[in-house]
Amino acid sequence: MKDPETRDMGSNKYLDVTAVGKAFKGTPVMSDMDFRVGRGELVSLLGPSGCGKTTLLRIIAGLTAADTGEVMLDGRAITSVPPHRRNISVVFQSYALFPHLTVAENVAFGLRARGVNKAAHGPKVAEALALVRMSDFAERPVAALSGGQQQRVAVARALIVDPVLLLLDEPFSALDRKLRETMQVELKTLLRARNMTAIFVTHDQDEAMGVSDRIAVMSAGKIEQFASPSELYARPASAFVMDFVGLSTRLTGKVVETGAGRITVHTAHGSVTAPGDFAAGTKVTIGVRPELIRTEPGENTISVTLEDAMVLGSKTQLHGRAEDPNRLLCELPGMRSSLTPGETVNFGWSIADTLVYEAST
Amino acid sequence: MIRRAERIGFLALPGLSFLAIIYALPLFMLLLKSFQIDGQFSILEYVTFFSDNYSMSVLWRTLRVAFLTTGLALLIAYPTAIIMARAKGIWLSVFLVAMVLPMSVGVIVKAFAWSILFRTRGVLNDTLMSLGLTEAPIRMLFTETALIIGAANVFLPFMVLPIYTVLRQMDSRLPEATVSLGATPVFRFMNVTLPLSLPGVVAGCAFTFSLAISMYVIPSLIVGERQQTLSMLTARSFLYLRNEALGATISSILLIIAISVVLGSSWLASRLGARQ
Ligand SMILES: Nc1ncnc2c1ncn2[C@@H]1O[C@H](COP(=O)(O)OP(=O)(O)OP(=O)(O)O)[C@@H](O)[C@H]1O
Ligand SMILES: [Mg+2]
Repeated sequence: MKDPETRDMGSNKYLDVTAVGKAFKGTPVMSDMDFRVGRGELVSLLGPSGCGKTTLLRIIAGLTAADTGEVMLDGRAITSVPPHRRNISVVFQSYALFPHLTVAENVAFGLRARGVNKAAHGPKVAEALALVRMSDFAERPVAALSGGQQQRVAVARALIVDPVLLLLDEPFSALDRKLRETMQVELKTLLRARNMTAIFVTHDQDEAMGVSDRIAVMSAGKIEQFASPSELYARPASAFVMDFVGLSTRLTGKVVETGAGRITVHTAHGSVTAPGDFAAGTKVTIGVRPELIRTEPGENTISVTLEDAMVLGSKTQLHGRAEDPNRLLCELPGMRSSLTPGETVNFGWSIADTLVYEAST
Repeated sequence: MIRRAERIGFLALPGLSFLAIIYALPLFMLLLKSFQIDGQFSILEYVTFFSDNYSMSVLWRTLRVAFLTTGLALLIAYPTAIIMARAKGIWLSVFLVAMVLPMSVGVIVKAFAWSILFRTRGVLNDTLMSLGLTEAPIRMLFTETALIIGAANVFLPFMVLPIYTVLRQMDSRLPEATVSLGATPVFRFMNVTLPLSLPGVVAGCAFTFSLAISMYVIPSLIVGERQQTLSMLTARSFLYLRNEALGATISSILLIIAISVVLGSSWLASRLGARQ
């Protein structure tokens, strides 16, 4: 299913990837990939390992040739333009800094490669280093830098050439959690200030939510949904997106009654009503975000035996006993130490908050 | 208590004592002998050597052959190492075997194989003549050119392997990072691949030069007695002329050249590697 927003972006297509296909040694990685990004947008490619995120990024950068399809940038077809003439900068996961050069020489590399007048290097390098707060390290060899510092240098090196597009392949994955969060905020602010169009590859949903205007959720070489973080969370287009982005209570069942835009589904934990039009007998997957569930009867109510109650500080997570692929999960604000495993409670939520998808067989 | 690093140092003891007894001691005695005449300290042998036209011509020939051999080997080895560093799977194995296997074929066997190739009515001359590139056969065997080609061939693995090793260790993302920064392939080679491979080039040149300057069997077989090298001269002094002082002097000169090459190259390599 195609997300409506993907089509709406047609009016604002700065980067336009159309019908791109790629196979490695006969094994297709993606086919008929459409992907559009507006000018100044910060976009994430989010998906499980091996779904083709890096491949799509490399095709856009020109480092991998697509078998079929077209890549347009700012109205110009760049499919056959060699990578060194695309003016697209890439920040690699390993940063790929030049070990034989100093920080300043690394940053200046793109200027030298483009034959920019030597006299202009100094001020530009100083500006780029100031941007990433690395001015004090200009003359250091890059091997003597920490992970976070190396990443800053990589970003400065990528930005100094004023690229038309910035691509980042898992730029934060080598950093520890705390530093990662700092760098995410820092980089987002920096890119915003320069109105840079950027695509982040990640398989960390928090990272994608944090840094991007829109997220393309990918699975097996396809974009499942391309939408804003809040839209993605509240209205996932498929059960895959619902599972991949955020947590949820998940029930499988069969439609037993249908009519007036509502269906009644029979599940292992009782009957559930959901909005939608599915024929009776259809197998469906029901989902509810955990913070939308209360431990009191609602429009939908199921009885749950608690398996675990995890007090996480700002919230308490309740895990109910369920058989795979069902999952019972509820999040209550604050610390609720009164709830104990083994206890039976009600999970209640409204019909409007119920997500329903046809089960893939 | 002895610190950990120092204790680990003891592991080098057997190797070091082996080198000291078998290698350093006799060489040191040789060096001493070259500075002695009738038990007295003297540099007369060196003065004689350096003022003798014939000895000097041999010294220059030896240095020239070693330089050219190193240069030729580098010229052939560098592209080979680049291709090997990019090769994968079965091709890599093929290249490595092609590099290592010829080392197990003795130099003598190779030298006779070359003589089939190089001699007046050999394969090479026949081919050149049948192609009409030359009227009469070219004299190739017993020339310095043949010696350099042969020596470069024998020492090629010692040049290829160190360069291959450093290229292989290079982060495979570096070329792509270079390209995405707008660098042409030529700029990339000059500014990334070449500088990063220099420590391997230095090591390979040091190996090849040291081997080429002291080679004995290859020149004996290819050019024979007519064009002497320092090693051949040394052997002649010891074996035929029974002039131990002269032999010791030439050996010491060879030793000094070899030591300077080793020290110079390791200084260069550490300077090149210091920033990495
Ligand atoms: N050069 C290649 N040769 C053969 N197969 C490849 C090559 N590059 C990628 N693939 C395959 O293509 C698929 C997609 O790879 P890709 O690197 O794009 O995934 P990814 O989404 O970036 O994964 P990850 O999150 O693990 O980085 C994988 O199955 C991978 O094995
Ligand atoms: Mg990847």
